[in-house]
Amino acid sequence: MSAHQQGTELDLSWISKIQVNKPAVLRRAEQIQARRPVKKEWQAAWLLKAVTCIDLTTLSGDDTASNIQRLCYKAKYPIREDLLKALNMHDKGITTAAVCVYPARVCDAVRALKAAGCDIPVASVATGFPAAQTHLKTRLEEIRLAVEDGATEIDVVINRTLVLTGQWKGSDFIKTSTGKETVNATFPVAIVMLRAIRDFFWKTGNKVGFKPAGGIRSAKDSLVWLSLIKEELGDEWMKPELFRIGASTLLADIERQIYHHVTGRYAAYHDLPMS
Amino acid sequence: MRTGVIGLILSPTFPFLDMMWRICPALAVGCTVVVLVPPASPTPLLLAQLAGELGPFPGILNVISGPASLGPVLAAQPGVQKVAFCGAIEEGRALRRTLAGWVPELGLALGAESLLLLTEVADVDSAVEGIVDAAWSDRSPGGLRLLIQEAVWDETMRRLQERMGRLRCGHGLDGAVDMGARGAAARDLAQRYVSEAQSQGAQVFQAGSEPSDSPFFPPTLVSDLPPASPCTQAEVPWPLVVASPFRTAKEALAVANGTPRGGSASVWSERLGQALELAYGLQVGTVWINAHGLRDPAVPMGGCKESGSSWHGGQDGLYEYLRPSGTPAWIPYLSKTLNYDAFGLALPSTLPAGPETGPAPPYGLFVGGRFQAPGARSSRPIRDSQGSLQGYVAEGGAKDIRGAVEAAHQAAPGWMSQSPAARAALLWALAAALQRREPNLVSRLERHGVELKVAKAEVELSVKRLRAWGARVQAQGCALQVAELRGPVLRLREPLGVLAIVCPDEWPLLAFVSLLAPALAHGNTVVLVPSGACPIPALEVCQEMATLLPAGLVNVVTGDRDHLTRCLALHQDIQALWYFGSAQGSQFVEWASAGNLKPVWVNRGCPRAWDQEAEGAGPELGRRAARTKALWLPMGD
Repeated sequence: MSAHQQGTELDLSWISKIQVNKPAVLRRAEQIQARRPVKKEWQAAWLLKAVTCIDLTTLSGDDTASNIQRLCYKAKYPIREDLLKALNMHDKGITTAAVCVYPARVCDAVRALKAAGCDIPVASVATGFPAAQTHLKTRLEEIRLAVEDGATEIDVVINRTLVLTGQWKGSDFIKTSTGKETVNATFPVAIVMLRAIRDFFWKTGNKVGFKPAGGIRSAKDSLVWLSLIKEELGDEWMKPELFRIGASTLLADIERQIYHHVTGRYAAYHDLPMS
Repeated sequence: MRTGVIGLILSPTFPFLDMMWRICPALAVGCTVVVLVPPASPTPLLLAQLAGELGPFPGILNVISGPASLGPVLAAQPGVQKVAFCGAIEEGRALRRTLAGWVPELGLALGAESLLLLTEVADVDSAVEGIVDAAWSDRSPGGLRLLIQEAVWDETMRRLQERMGRLRCGHGLDGAVDMGARGAAARDLAQRYVSEAQSQGAQVFQAGSEPSDSPFFPPTLVSDLPPASPCTQAEVPWPLVVASPFRTAKEALAVANGTPRGGSASVWSERLGQALELAYGLQVGTVWINAHGLRDPAVPMGGCKESGSSWHGGQDGLYEYLRPSGTPAWIPYLSKTLNYDAFGLALPSTLPAGPETGPAPPYGLFVGGRFQAPGARSSRPIRDSQGSLQGYVAEGGAKDIRGAVEAAHQAAPGWMSQSPAARAALLWALAAALQRREPNLVSRLERHGVELKVAKAEVELSVKRLRAWGARVQAQGCALQVAELRGPVLRLREPLGVLAIVCPDEWPLLAFVSLLAPALAHGNTVVLVPSGACPIPALEVCQEMATLLPAGLVNVVTGDRDHLTRCLALHQDIQALWYFGSAQGSQFVEWASAGNLKPVWVNRGCPRAWDQEAEGAGPELGRRAARTKALWLPMGD
């Protein structure tokens, strides 16, 4: 992750000057999905890029050490070795960007990654995920404990009460939502967020990262996300330091696409190692 | 009633979709079509082949592949009832001149430039996407004039240039490419414009660098072009965007309306009131609010001013291919010997018939709300049916026409902004005044040789017509339903502006009133030339109008019909001309209208049954007295 944000003075006039025209944004979102399709070897390259930006996530009530270990191993070897060899990418260190777990499971994740010999960061959701309706004291304590256990990135759920009453704070990354809402990462919302990131960069020189999470399941979607970032922000943002995709089943779909590219056949789910 | 055989002439850079937009309504109402396409495009031929395979009707769609010079040849074929032309403005103008007197109707859809008006309260990022769609994509018809409010100038320029950096030019069929090429001619045109603009002091920004011999012209942004430079007067070619700043909304409208073209425009503003104000004020055929380039078959699309007055889509598009039932079959009336330069140029000299002190002082011209002496200070005698002198009317000339048109323009804004109820009230008041004058008018008509019964009927019918048109005045807009769009599309009917009418000799009072009433009812101001043989009933009506109507609303100029027609037809600031006179005059009017491409309506020398409801007060009059504007309002928050 890049150096922490220096931050700026809160200037609410920036927010009041913003105009967003929803029908126009919806049209742009539709357009992004239809134009610029990526095919063949370029598609394989883009898919591998997408893999390196994934925050491999598991946030379910029945997480235990065993499925965390499986996840961490998959994070180290996201694509089957022989497929990577066929693409001549086996020695490029293709791993996911991070592993994202609940605070209580950070220990297990750190241990599993160390055993696998992998140095990717462990991200933890914190602050009363997903609703953030807990006391400030416990939320801060959660963050402290997660960091003590070895997490180097925290996905903070902002207090919506404060937002709705106009009390803001800054961050290094902005994320579309917890992923547990009814509507999560949609393209119109993303377009508006990316334009805001670009405006902030032009005004202050600080680069803020972007993470869509929730509902990204197909490889095709991941390609659209990458092209959206490239169109709105440029090539600099297409790196794990500034762009993450919060996903779990996405990796399986990407792997199947790569399998198809390499072998020309469609894989069954059992052909590829599970995460 | 359908029109018959339509000839369609397309320009070298036409899109296939445009052709379909014109062929489909023509076929739908029952016309057959002959299309002339440039040799470089084989697709229409394929379409014609498919059409030819339709069993029972093999000849409904015919395609000829040939050079543009075949256009007049196609139009001159006997049996072609209408010619529709889409292409460049100068070619349209030349076609209008060549085809004067040859074809019954010429529909022109000219020019491809559009306008984008960006205010400071707009979503600038979305507007930049709108600019890309409008100017730098394969579906954009032509170049773009961009008007940016000064407050957001820097921001917009920066975003535009950033966005241009991400556009990709390449082979048109490649999916990852934004724009292709449109041929060497289009490329040269764009190159010439850029060089000229640079020599006139403009800043030119081009995305990427293409080698000079590549067929692709890069997306180009031209700014700092002074408004007085010749480049701002010329049409902006594809794929150029010419940006200029403005300070207030009022200035924006003045700059936007300050060109002879009036095709389509978009207004970007998040303030509804301001957006609608600008949309209503722009003199164009289609306005999109916070969007650009939306099209739908149910919504009419066309232009005004020099963008031609032919429409496609919606109801207006269908009416292009229909004629009122009962219209007589068209017979060619072309007079090859008509000298356009000499028609109506000289005033015929008339010797005064006896002492100039006639039965009454000579009537002046009714201009600017009062009677004035003509510039030439001479009058012409009016004789009744027995040949004895009835009175003198003014001999109007070019200067008087100029004054009349100026007075009409001065009265136009006030009249246009009147509510429909106010306009209706005025028309009814005029009807009542006419009724009070009935004995006077009847006696005038009788002296001219009209039977008493017929004269009485004429006056009565005139009064009735005024009342009827008064009742038909209403804010004539309607909301259209467009699939796939959330939000209304309004079809507005706006006044043309200043309408010039040359009245026929038959039914001197009735025709005068039948033409005046719809023009006024739809918000136009008028300059009329009454019947040459019997202008006095019209002048009597003017005496009533002097007290009832605002000054300049109606202007009546008497004199030599051919001379006055020449002045009106050549005047660049008249928005439409209706001519009911001789065949030669009709031909001249069609030829001269090419000057500012004003829509004309001529009778080709055939008299019209003004007392019949269909011809004297039918919907055709209402349709011709106003122009359409489509206003798109996508909604969502």
